[in-house]
Amino acid sequence: MTTSLGEVLDNRRTAEFHKAARALLKEPLLLARGPSADSYRLVRRYAAELRDWFDRNTGWSLRVDAESARLRRTPGTLADATHPAREASRAGVPFTRRRYVLLCLALAALERGEAQIALGRLAEQVVLDAADPHLAAAGVEFTLERRDERLDLAAVVRLLLRYGVLRRVAGDEDAYVSGAGDVLYDVERRVLAGLLAARHGPSLIDAVGFEERLGALTAESALDSDELRFRAIRQKLTRRLLDDPVLYYDELTDDELVYLTRQRAFLTARVSELTGLLPEVRAEGIAMVDPHDDLTDVRMPEQGTHGHVTLLLAEHLAAADGEVSRTELELRVRELAAVHGAFWSKSAKQPGAEGELVEQALARLSALGLAKRTPAGATPLPALARYAVGEAVVVESSSRPQRKAPRP
Amino acid sequence: MTSRPVEPDSVGPAEAAHSAGSSTETPYAPFAHLTAPNATLYRQVMSVFLTAKERFAVHLRPEDVHAALPPEHRPAGPDAVVKALDSLVGWGNLRADPDTSRVTAVEDFYRRRFIYQLTQGGEAAEQALSVYDEALGRRGALQAVALHDIVTHLRALLVLAAEEEPDAAKAHLALSALTGRFEALAENARAFMGSLQRTIDLHGVEVEVFLAYKDRLIQYLERFIQDLITLGGRIALLIAELEDRDRVGLLLRLAAAREAADAAPDEADTAQAQAYERWAGRWAGLAAWFVSADGRESQARLLRSRALGAIPQLLAVVRQLNERRAGRSDRSADFRALARWFAEAPDDDARHRLWRAAFGLYSARHFTVDADTLADRAARPVPPATPWAEAEPLRISPQLRRTGSYERRGKPRRVQDRSEQRRQLAELAAKQAEEIAAARARLATDGTTRLSALGELDPVAFALFLRLLGDALATWRPGTTTTAATSNDGTMEIRLTALDDGTKAEIRTPGGVFRGPDHTVEITDLTQDIPAWEAR
Repeated sequence: MTTSLGEVLDNRRTAEFHKAARALLKEPLLLARGPSADSYRLVRRYAAELRDWFDRNTGWSLRVDAESARLRRTPGTLADATHPAREASRAGVPFTRRRYVLLCLALAALERGEAQIALGRLAEQVVLDAADPHLAAAGVEFTLERRDERLDLAAVVRLLLRYGVLRRVAGDEDAYVSGAGDVLYDVERRVLAGLLAARHGPSLIDAVGFEERLGALTAESALDSDELRFRAIRQKLTRRLLDDPVLYYDELTDDELVYLTRQRAFLTARVSELTGLLPEVRAEGIAMVDPHDDLTDVRMPEQGTHGHVTLLLAEHLAAADGEVSRTELELRVRELAAVHGAFWSKSAKQPGAEGELVEQALARLSALGLAKRTPAGATPLPALARYAVGEAVVVESSSRPQRKAPRP
Repeated sequence: MTSRPVEPDSVGPAEAAHSAGSSTETPYAPFAHLTAPNATLYRQVMSVFLTAKERFAVHLRPEDVHAALPPEHRPAGPDAVVKALDSLVGWGNLRADPDTSRVTAVEDFYRRRFIYQLTQGGEAAEQALSVYDEALGRRGALQAVALHDIVTHLRALLVLAAEEEPDAAKAHLALSALTGRFEALAENARAFMGSLQRTIDLHGVEVEVFLAYKDRLIQYLERFIQDLITLGGRIALLIAELEDRDRVGLLLRLAAAREAADAAPDEADTAQAQAYERWAGRWAGLAAWFVSADGRESQARLLRSRALGAIPQLLAVVRQLNERRAGRSDRSADFRALARWFAEAPDDDARHRLWRAAFGLYSARHFTVDADTLADRAARPVPPATPWAEAEPLRISPQLRRTGSYERRGKPRRVQDRSEQRRQLAELAAKQAEEIAAARARLATDGTTRLSALGELDPVAFALFLRLLGDALATWRPGTTTTAATSNDGTMEIRLTALDDGTKAEIRTPGGVFRGPDHTVEITDLTQDIPAWEAR
């Protein structure tokens, strides 16, 4: 009786702990109010354990206060360009150069400003800051007089609203964009203060080249003992296992590979203990796979036209040996449209939609580490083979009605 | 002269030189408004500030000033007031500080610009003007002030008033000292509240300065409030005692008479009346300071609430400082540097990488796996050296592969009807409840009786009886002869008393005969009382 009760409680605790950790891994900045309130409470309850785990295994710091929980993450690899800032709308368009620059200028203005700000005033300050000769030399300038510029600023502000840096008090951004009104915000200084996750302040870094800057931003302090070096390797590998779909061995340095080979079971067990993810270890690398199918921002396979096209193109790519050109992929999409088009959205069936469909599919496949873009098209990566659906195709083409679930 | 508000504290060296230059040119700039076209409005505005100052309101917003202006001089809109205020700032009569209070509408954010307060120059000018207006000098030097002194002087006055023929010289002296002390107190309190407000508003004050000041301020406030509460009450009592049967009036008249003694003979009568009026006015001022009357709060009370109000304001400042500190390094410079990096990054991919590394606001991303595949892998583990291409792939539902979605839309499954089973269960429960109720009714003894008199019991009633007996015997201790117990479910009560006549009791049931030493027993069905009790 007591043991089983204890087990039940243990299981529930583990499940909650996993849920808290997953919430932070999906959304490293959780607000105490709004849709993330439940996750925030969970994180708050397990804050001590989570802080301890992240600090020891990844070197990420977790700060939980009355308004927000923030996991200051540094990615395990700097080479991944598939996590852009996205517009806080359904379309989720990645940020452009202008928006990134605007975002930083807006943050700089907010950091200096008072507890409240109006969008018009923010715009004035951004325009002032944008007069920086370095920005001018890089060819960026804002007057915020044109409508598209104001749209950019509105997108930036909406992102800040989503992250909880700003809270709208009165007005709305559309009115500002159309030049008819203004918006008033409260500034959440604590959230703002935790927004930057870089290990070193960019203003203190005087490197000039982009890669050097990126490196300096996340550099660890001097690793002058074996123990520190090993810890750095362990943290980097754990970060990658936690964040990225696949860790390919050929992306690692020799030291890292040696460490991973020896400590593989230990590392993956730790990640499982935190998140409930399970290791899929293969000759080419490790993927931490998710039985609950929610710890991700990009799904595969997924329903809907784009998910479907991606799945079918993945199949094609997996079957091909080596690089497949874009033209060939688009041709394949046209063929597929003839077979499966009935299930696709209207816009996907229109002639000329292939380019966009292929683009979306490749974006998804490369985000998942399943394929790599090349100048001419794309090449498959080893993990793509886990989506080979050969046998299912045989059952499907046998034209039997699908009463029973077909098993390969 | 510029009409832009200038903060004296933040004037740079160049500007300081300029303003010094201008101040030598026009050393009496605070008087310039007397000869300006709108002189009446300016004077009214300044008098609003003076009145406010007497109530320890140091900062005024343009709309406050607008509202406080007498109706016949009030301009149509606040804009005219703002203009007047800015002109006065230009002449140095007022000082403008940015208004930092919270607003809830966009228009307010833009409208509210500055709050205004008197400058030293402006105050001096007003003082000079009031002197000029009244053609009267202010008397009494400002000394160190204590409420204690006032208490002492009031006591002395009481003693004087109790005398048969109070000494005019003593009365005059005591009253002069009292008013002198009182004026100093009022002046100090006013100056203190003014400086308090200035510090609390904290325009870019240094943290260390503030923290040092905070401690002193809190100490001062503590002492001041305490004195005000304890002594203020005592003073009010003393004042009431003096005013009782107009004792103080006598003293005031004496003092006035003495003051008027030096006047020219032909003016003696009017001089005495004037002097009395003056003294009566002073006394009324003193009384108003400490005694609330006619629905108007005493100044002491106002002062107390202001001083108390200063503490939350102070806390707000501390919070603001903490917030600033939470940022630690110069984040603003960091963000500007990042803006430059984003601008100079070679392409969009580089910018996305920079965004990920600098802000770390990305989601984790993982493949999914379904339960079937997992079960399969548990049964037949894949060796780690297997390439992906040779391992069993993930099973993709053919439905998904064909149509792009997992489920075909169809009719939803019918909800099963379980009302029959539910009815059976309800019947069963009702039957059991009935049986138990009957058993209870059967067991209830309706007064004391013997166990041997219970007679034959059916199995349900007997089971109930056994449980009840068990509950009663559980409380049995060596040496007890009588006990009472309530059944676990609270429905029945049993009282059991041992008999020493050696008789045996027998209870027959269909399953056999239950024997034991006889007891007197009383069994009450507690559930029988509930409806009656509820009906009451």
